[in-house]
Amino acid sequence: MAGSHHISRRDFIKLATLTVGGAIGAAIGVPSIFYLVDPALEAGGKDAWIPLGPLENFEIGKPTLVTFVRTKVNGWEKTSNSYGVFVLRKSEEDVTVISNRCTHLSCRVNWNEEKQTYICPCHDATFSLDGEVLGGPPPRPLDRYEGEALKIEEGVVSIFFTEG
Amino acid sequence: MWKKLWKNIFAWFDERLGLNDLYKATLDRPEPKGNWWNTLGSASLFLFVLQGLTGIFLTVYYTPSPDHAYDSIQYIMTGVEFGWLIRGIHHWGASLMVMVVFIHMLRVFVTASYKYPRELTWLIGVGLLLVTLGMGFTGYLLPWNQKAFWATTVGTAIAGSVPWVGEFILKALRGGTDLNALTLSRFFSAHIWILPVMLAGLIGVHLFLIIKHGESAFPEKED
Amino acid sequence: MKEEQKQTIHEKYQRALQKGERFWPDSIYKDLVVSFGIFIVLVLMAAFVGVPGEPKADPSDSSYVPKPEWYFLFLFKFLALYGQIPGIGKIEWIATALIPGLALLLLFVLPLTDKNPFRHYTRRTLALTVMGVFVVSVIALTMIANVPTATDENGRMTLSTWLQFLAGLILPGLAYLVLIALTPLARKWGVAARKAQVWSATVASVGMLALGLVVMLTAPPAAASEVEVAGTVGEKMSLGMDLYSVYCTECHGVDGDVTVITGVEGLEGKVVSPISSSDVMYTLTDETLANIIAYGQQGLGMPPFGRAYGGELSPSEIDYIVTYIRYTWDDRAEIPADAVLTSIPELAEGEVPSYEIHISALVKRYCVSCHRAGKDNNNYLMTSYDEMLTTGDNSPVMVAGDAESLNLVLINGTEVTDPKTGNVIRAMPPNKLLDQKYIDMLTLWVLNGMPNTAVEAQALSAPTPTP
Repeated sequence: MAGSHHISRRDFIKLATLTVGGAIGAAIGVPSIFYLVDPALEAGGKDAWIPLGPLENFEIGKPTLVTFVRTKVNGWEKTSNSYGVFVLRKSEEDVTVISNRCTHLSCRVNWNEEKQTYICPCHDATFSLDGEVLGGPPPRPLDRYEGEALKIEEGVVSIFFTEG
Repeated sequence: MWKKLWKNIFAWFDERLGLNDLYKATLDRPEPKGNWWNTLGSASLFLFVLQGLTGIFLTVYYTPSPDHAYDSIQYIMTGVEFGWLIRGIHHWGASLMVMVVFIHMLRVFVTASYKYPRELTWLIGVGLLLVTLGMGFTGYLLPWNQKAFWATTVGTAIAGSVPWVGEFILKALRGGTDLNALTLSRFFSAHIWILPVMLAGLIGVHLFLIIKHGESAFPEKED
Repeated sequence: MKEEQKQTIHEKYQRALQKGERFWPDSIYKDLVVSFGIFIVLVLMAAFVGVPGEPKADPSDSSYVPKPEWYFLFLFKFLALYGQIPGIGKIEWIATALIPGLALLLLFVLPLTDKNPFRHYTRRTLALTVMGVFVVSVIALTMIANVPTATDENGRMTLSTWLQFLAGLILPGLAYLVLIALTPLARKWGVAARKAQVWSATVASVGMLALGLVVMLTAPPAAASEVEVAGTVGEKMSLGMDLYSVYCTECHGVDGDVTVITGVEGLEGKVVSPISSSDVMYTLTDETLANIIAYGQQGLGMPPFGRAYGGELSPSEIDYIVTYIRYTWDDRAEIPADAVLTSIPELAEGEVPSYEIHISALVKRYCVSCHRAGKDNNNYLMTSYDEMLTTGDNSPVMVAGDAESLNLVLINGTEVTDPKTGNVIRAMPPNKLLDQKYIDMLTLWVLNGMPNTAVEAQALSAPTPTP
């Protein structure tokens, strides 16, 4: 049958079989992919103003850890996640807020009073009082809440927090 | 050029895997003139594969514990993209599978295909029907809703009515005297591991026997 | 089976193969077409029928009538009918283990017991008629599975139960006996015996189906108990709000901020913690809240609401209430975007409220908790339009067009002394007056003659100017 433009009944059946099989595969396959990756499609990053407390709670010149809890609905469960920031009051009204999440692999950094540095317990990264990288693997300074994301109203420090 | 490359690749694999022999043995077989009723066996197999696939997908979100089973299924139905489709197919597929397997059995009975040399194929087929019903029974409990809970309470109580060993069977099925977390997890295990493995094994033998003896011919007047 | 018989079978099969087709693609094509059809059916079922909702399992609910999956219904019904037989019906295992076990055994050993060498249906009368009767009896039993068997006041079975017996047990049983009895006669009578077998099987089958149909059609319609099932958080909150309005508002108030209970029989003056406060919301988990609702706090006066402890609520319903409370009052919980609460509809300019749209929603939210049957409320009930207008010790409490109707006076915050008993009737609602806009809404409704339906209210409303 070489060169013939007519396809034989046999070839037609083969083609039809493959088409039907492919249709079933696609009809179940494509929704399945959406089904499996669904959590990745959810819009994340809820944001809110988080009050950290009145100014006088924070000793001048010494970073204070403030933790807060955010609950989030994951599937059919509510999960409470704890977050922490260091509040550093440099002078009466000058406040710096730094996230305690290491920019390397998200371990929580601690303030070391003696060495006057933040130390990450996972890979021994060190950060300065302002969050700049002093040593170790982190690619960038600790995240800061400043400008639009920081406000002091009626003596209460608040940050604009976005869940990541 | 491409054709030649493809040919070479195919030849390489064929030499090692015996693809051509496999093709001849399983697909390129002669068969008696086909009949639409003879498609029901394949339809059962198709439903088994479909139930397997959708079932695997369901376990991605489903949690077999009395505290979470119900909520996780609600989440699949309302929270997950296409969750309604996956669960819908699995739910109705179960009913349809029981129906198709049963009609397949009736077809084999009516055409007397269970006679020589296919007696063993029938025996295994009855086993397949039983395990399919077992799948239906164990799967019914998993959503942990009212219907599931009470139907399974009654269903397992039926097993408990057998003289002498009933009490023992009942406790073994339920994992205790009443329906509880153990019941759910053992039904889950049976539904996703024990019974499907049995089903797959029996299907393998069933298919081997079909290939070995060929599909039965439709009986004619003198048969 | 003799060797030459086997030989003929093989030869015949080889001839059939000669005339036949190939497995690929001829058979696979047919198989796939059928499978594709099945697949389409499944997708359509999933899309348009869906999976029916069911409330969460409640081990404390002993009133639930269990039903197995449809393909087990015939067994279920068989057991029910068998159990009605006097005497032997009490020996349960005969029906649960022995008979199904024997049937299964028969099915398993069929190829070994069926010595008939023929395959064509004309030469297998016994096998086919027995199987036919079995399949039809399964269908008949499934048809009548939802019709209960019953005895009348004298302990005798009702007509329907008799018919069910006939269709589900007696006819198939008789048919099997006749079919088997006729088989040895086949040698003597030949074709006549076969014909008799086919006829008896047909008669029995038609009889079973007809009786099944009669039983099904004459059965009293089963009371459909609609249970609302929520899927999303939004749906749970809606149902939860309705349940809260009925069961909780009475003591805790609409906003959960009541600290001293007023106007509740037996609990007057009790001090309760304001349940919408962050003290409660932050310290009690969902599970604790659910336990409190289910078990109550009986030392403090809160009665149990869970069915397991003698209340009326199922675990699902308690879950809905907890969800509503949590998302409404806990400032840490964010309401999902899809959550829509059914609120009381606002009135447009010049619109007259109707019971159907506005008043029923308002009353449900603020009044029904006390003004329903079984509560101390001067016998004034508010669960329907007619009740609102006609019930109560001081009926009528609302008169169309009368701004001085008792109800309006009370909701405006004025106490009244009952002219008959001399008791003081409190301003309503007792713990906190309604929002002014709702007081206005009720007043407007009464002044406009208390229209029931939206259509009636529409007729009374000022025509909206059309541009």
